[in-house]
This record gives sequence, C-alpha cells and structure tokens, in this order.
Amino acid sequence: MSSQITDVLIVGAGAFGLSCAWHMARRGTGARLLVLDEGEFASGATGRNGAGFRMQWGLELNIRLCQESIRFFETAAETLDYPRGIELKQDGYLVLAHSDKAFERLQEAVRTQRGFGVPSEMLDADECCRMVPVLGRNRLLGGSFCAKDGSASPFLWLDALLRAARREGVDVRYGTRVEAVEKNGSGFRAHTRDGIIEAGKVLLCTDWAVPDLLAPLGIEMPVVPLPKEILVTAPTRQAVKPILISLEHRIAVNQVGRGSVVFTVSRAREGRSTETTPDFLSFAAPKIVDLVPGLAHLPVLRSWGASQASLPICSRYSAKPI
Amino acid sequence: MPRSVLIVGAGPAGMSAAIEAQARSARVIVVDEAARPGGQIYRQTYRPSTGGGAIADSGELARKERLIGAFERLCDKIDYRPSTAAFALFGSGELHVANGARTEVLHADSVVLTSGVREIAIPFPGWTTPGVMYAGGVQALLKAQSVLAGRRIVVAGAGPLPIVVAAQLLRAGGEVASLATLNSLAATARELHALWKGRDIVLEGLRYLATVIRAGVPRLSGFVPVRVQGREQVESVLLARVDRDGSIIPNTEREIACDVVAVNYGFASNSELALMAGVAMRHDQPSGGWVPVVDEFGRTSVPGIFVAGDAAGLRGALVAEAEGRIAGAAAAEREEIKSAQFRVGLSQDLAQRERLVAFQSAVQSMLRVPTGLWRLATDDTVVCRCENVTASALRDAFAAGHLTPNTIKRVTRAGMGWCGGRTCLHAVAALAELHGAPDAGLMTPRPLARPVTLAALASLDASSR
Repeated sequence: MSSQITDVLIVGAGAFGLSCAWHMARRGTGARLLVLDEGEFASGATGRNGAGFRMQWGLELNIRLCQESIRFFETAAETLDYPRGIELKQDGYLVLAHSDKAFERLQEAVRTQRGFGVPSEMLDADECCRMVPVLGRNRLLGGSFCAKDGSASPFLWLDALLRAARREGVDVRYGTRVEAVEKNGSGFRAHTRDGIIEAGKVLLCTDWAVPDLLAPLGIEMPVVPLPKEILVTAPTRQAVKPILISLEHRIAVNQVGRGSVVFTVSRAREGRSTETTPDFLSFAAPKIVDLVPGLAHLPVLRSWGASQASLPICSRYSAKPI
Repeated sequence: MPRSVLIVGAGPAGMSAAIEAQARSARVIVVDEAARPGGQIYRQTYRPSTGGGAIADSGELARKERLIGAFERLCDKIDYRPSTAAFALFGSGELHVANGARTEVLHADSVVLTSGVREIAIPFPGWTTPGVMYAGGVQALLKAQSVLAGRRIVVAGAGPLPIVVAAQLLRAGGEVASLATLNSLAATARELHALWKGRDIVLEGLRYLATVIRAGVPRLSGFVPVRVQGREQVESVLLARVDRDGSIIPNTEREIACDVVAVNYGFASNSELALMAGVAMRHDQPSGGWVPVVDEFGRTSVPGIFVAGDAAGLRGALVAEAEGRIAGAAAAEREEIKSAQFRVGLSQDLAQRERLVAFQSAVQSMLRVPTGLWRLATDDTVVCRCENVTASALRDAFAAGHLTPNTIKRVTRAGMGWCGGRTCLHAVAALAELHGAPDAGLMTPRPLARPVTLAALASLDASSR
C-alpha cells in the first residue's frame, strides 16, 4: 500500500469538487490539492442532471447562491480560458402552476425573489402559452418567469474546470474511490483501494453521498438523494425557449443549444440507481405529452437515471466536533 | 404450462430458433424490424410482388427458400410481429417494443437475441459525401427493391462481402468500375484445412469471384479508398495501396470516376439489447467488436437471456441457422439442458457449428484491419455523423485525457445522436486507441436502442405491464 501526502484532499470531481479545487488553486497559496473521483469524467450527478440554473427559488440561501453562480457563469468561458464556450443559454425559466395552491406559492416566491433583486414576474396562462406555444392548456393557471435564468452544458462546464484546474497544478484523478476518512493527528487519513492519502484537510464534494463518508466519523448530515430520471429527444427546431418546470407534473423541460429537448422527471424510487428503471418511459411519456402536447411527435433517443441532493447547507454545520 | 420464448430478429438464427422452440411446444413470439422475414442475408423483396432477377448464388437461394418456407408455415402457430422494433430489454426478461405509433411491453420465460450485425466503415476524407454507402446497404437496395444504387459503382473494403456485392451488382445489370480489396485472397487460401470445412461456401464465393472476373472488372488487391471527390455527390474516388500497417504507399493513388462508393470493413455485433440487460461481453474485433459471452447453448451471464447467430460473433448464415436451433431448443427447455439426451438431439447442429466456426475463423483473417487505416481521417473528417463531430474535435478530447467512449461522448457528443453510436463508436474507440487508450472501451448502454416518439411511448397499454 502506497501512501501520499497532500494539503487538501477533495473527494469528488463534479461541479462542487472541481470548482472548489480551481478556486483554491487560483489563490496561489501553493497548497497541494488532490481531487479524487470514483468514476470517470462527468459520470456523477453533475453530468447527469438537467443542467439548469435559476434564481427562482423560495429560500434566501438558494436565491443568493444562484445569483453568485450566474454572475460567474456569464463570463466563465473567458475566466477559465475555454474558447469553445460552455453552451451558456439565458432564455429564462418559466415555472408553471396548474393549481391555485401552486400559483399562490409562486406568487409568494416571486415576492421573496424580488426582495433580493431577482427580476422575476408572474405570468397568466395566456402569456405562458404565447411564450411557449407547445404548452398544453389543461388546468394551466400561469407561472413565474425570470429572464436571467438558464442552462449550460454540464460536460463542457466540467471540462473547462478540469483543464483550468490542471493548468493551476491541481492533481485530478479518476477511478479512485475514497472508501473511508478517519482523523489522524491534526489532519486526516483517507483510504482508497490504491493506498492511503494523508491530508491536512478533507473537502467532501460528493453531493448526496456526503453522509456516507461523514457517518463513520460520528457526524450526521441530513442530506438525502432526490432521485430523477431523464430522457432526451432528437434535435428539433426551437420549440421551448425558456426552461420549463411544472410543479404538478414534477418535470423540467430544457431545449438545449443543439435542439434536443431534455426532460428531467422527479419520481420517488428506491436506491441510487443511475440506470433507467423498466417502467420509467411509460411513466414519464404520458405526463410529458400532457404538459407539452406540441412535442409528442419527438423521437426519444436516450434515457438515464440521476440523483441530486436536497437543499444545500451553507454554514458551519454544528455537529459533534471531531 | 408451456414455456414462453421471445425471439428478437427473424434472420436465419431467429427463424430457426422459432421453429425449434415451437417444435418443443414453447409459446413463441418473434419480433422483427423488417416487413418480411429473412434478416439481412435472406432479405426478401419489400413486397411479394416486387420483381427482380436472382442475384444470389443458387446454393444461398435454396437455403433461403427452405428456411423462409419453414418459418412461414409456422406463422399461424406463433405470435410473429413484423415491422416491430425492440428498443429496451431489462434483465428480468422484460422487452419493450414499438410498432409504428404503439408500444408494448412483452414478457417471456426466455429471450433469444438474434439481432445480427451491422457494417463497419473506416472514416476517410469525403466518406460522408452522398454516394458513399455501406456495401451491405447497396446489397439491401438490390435485394429488397431491385434498385441499383448508382450508374457506376466502386466496391471496396475487407472480407468477402465486397466481392459478393460486386458480383450481385453485375448480375443485376450494374456497372462496377473497380473492386478494391484490402487483404488478398491468397492469404486466406493458405488456410486450406479450414477452407475445406466450408467448401460449399467457398464454392459459392468462387462463383461470385468468377462473375467479377468474367465481367472484366478491374480488381485492386491491397487498395483502399483514401479520398472521395465531389461536393454534393460522389464524382470520383481515390484508391491507394496500403502497406501492412495500413499506411498509404506513395505514388500508388488512382482516381476512378464513379457515382457510388460501396464500402465494408467488416461487422459489429448488434449487442445493445444484451448490454442493456447486463449481459457480460468480450472484445474481438474481427468477429464483431464487443460481443456477448455465450456458452455452447447460447446462454449468457443473465439467466433466461440467450444470444445466437452473428450477434454472438460473426460466423455467417449457416452457423446462425444451426445456432438458432440450439438456442431455440435451450430456451424452450431450460431445465433439460444438462441431460445427455438434450445434447444428443442437437448433435448434428453442434457438429455443424463446430465445423463451420473453424472455416469462419479462416475467412476472418480477411477482416483484420491494420491500425494505420484509422489515420486516414484528416482533422476536418466527420467521424460522428449524427452530431457532426470531426476527427480534430476527438483528438482535442483525447489530448485532454478523455479516452473512454463514455467520457469522449460527454465532451464531444460523439455517439449521442440518432443512431446511438452504432455508426461511430467503433471508430471513436479505434481512434482513441491510436492516442493511447489502454483498450477498446465500451459505452454504457442506455435505452432506447431505437428512437421511439413520446406519443408512442405514452400509448403503452398499462395492462401489458
């Protein structure tokens, strides 16, 4: 068993891990930074999700995090020296309500958002359908819209971060799973199949899997995976300009730059599988056709599974100290 | 209660699996994408009324008539579904199929995959110009529609198919401007013992070759297409001789005017459904790239899922037919496989397969492709046609350390389009190997194996689940 020493070990090379690594490296402290990921490039939650970002949330923390993120995304390709670009798209997010209760929730959220300077607004059903003609009118009451929200390619975003981080001297390795982390003097010891890593500090960036590595240290973190399944259609001419979310259908719709439409469907299911479950396509398709009947003719090319963490925690989390 | 056997594909393996399973009292369902049974090799005319002279060898025609005849006599005793595409298979044996605007979920005790192979091409400058086709595609047009793909056709590639297609084009009255073959027949002819085992097939091949020779078609051995000229349509092709490593030998180029270039460099197994169901795979380039691991009865690593015929490794129609019978029997009588009696009943088919597999491995020496041929693609050559991904975009990804099909796909989109990577993935993997990838990687299979509309997916009858 080999042993390696690093100043900071970052577990997970997704959006959290690589972004943290790059931002730390940029500070030029000379600290040795090692990022380990159990899978291949972009094989985790970042590469599997619906790729949207929005300031339209109901909680201050989410709203402010996204305001910061969007400011960064807007110039990320230049900042990270990634000439190909990250397929940034800011055509807005339209959150749809199909019940009075949902409509009231959106109104309240918009009031909160505007308090933080988010340029969101309420639209009635006619305005929603004018904006997205393929939308179904069934039960639709209206929605909230913010033009600054949008999406980027998670793959290009991660590739840009990966190349930039490596240029700054970060050691990023794939295919190495951190099995366990334990306290070791003033630092930590991480166990992998290939050997032991002695690290001054450990940053866990494994999203919904963070509790897995914390639990053995006696720290309980109330983060749970929210399972989703996703399908993508063949490219078509522009039909859905803003990203749609339907609270009732629990579906997000994002037509990406290439013209493909990505449907992200939330559903309760067991485990953390990244595979399509056998009944997913027949579960999702009728809901999608009800939400956007104008897209029923589109051929579906591919489907997969994903999870994302519940609410982020952005503070010193008071757990039993170690 | 009789066992149910679900068969995917109605080529030689699928038809004979159906016949055998039905004879053993199984309840048989056959789903096939084509409108009429036969698969690629025994492809029938699109409609019974579509005319066309006999272009195939008499031996092949006799086998085709006998097997299709036997299958058609069976059709009222089984559930045969033509024009039906299988688009997802789960390990539980749950098969999702689409027929036009409708989808359905089928269950069976055993699933036999006989989905055959697809063709392989090697990208070269101009290979996406209209008029460059797979040789098997040119052949399918002849068989199904009696249509000549062009007025003046150059046929090129490796293995026996280019010879067969050139001969069939001539028999249908077409003009073959040149037949360029990568490997010489002489190398294969050295393996006399193996060839003897397949002497009937060799004779058929020689009759095809005789057709080409009699017609005076210029034959270029050791030549491959290296560039196509023409913007909207093929105007000519540049053929050049290559050395053992696949590098172009200077000053050997010849330009040949033509409107169609028919290319085939061998085959890849249609193994998507098996992969999706979690079947263990092995890699063997000449016999089909990634192919499912099967035992002598076609059993895979997933209980209840069988693979037979070329989908389990390219060995031709005769092996497929024997293997279909073996897998059909095994799928129908899963508990009985271990009995000595079961094996005795199949001894003819098992012996036939053994004899022909030896022959086929000799033929496959013609399908070895030197790695240098993958360097024909210049920076602006499109490799993934669905997503317009060029060789230079791939090379940029390789240089950044993305060397597995999954990671290359994420960064470049190669393999994310309409065809699901069926056209480009072998090329992407081969190019990655040139740039230091440790092995031919495998892309994680995802539903759907065929595009199906949202409306069709929404039509699924809930009661069929």
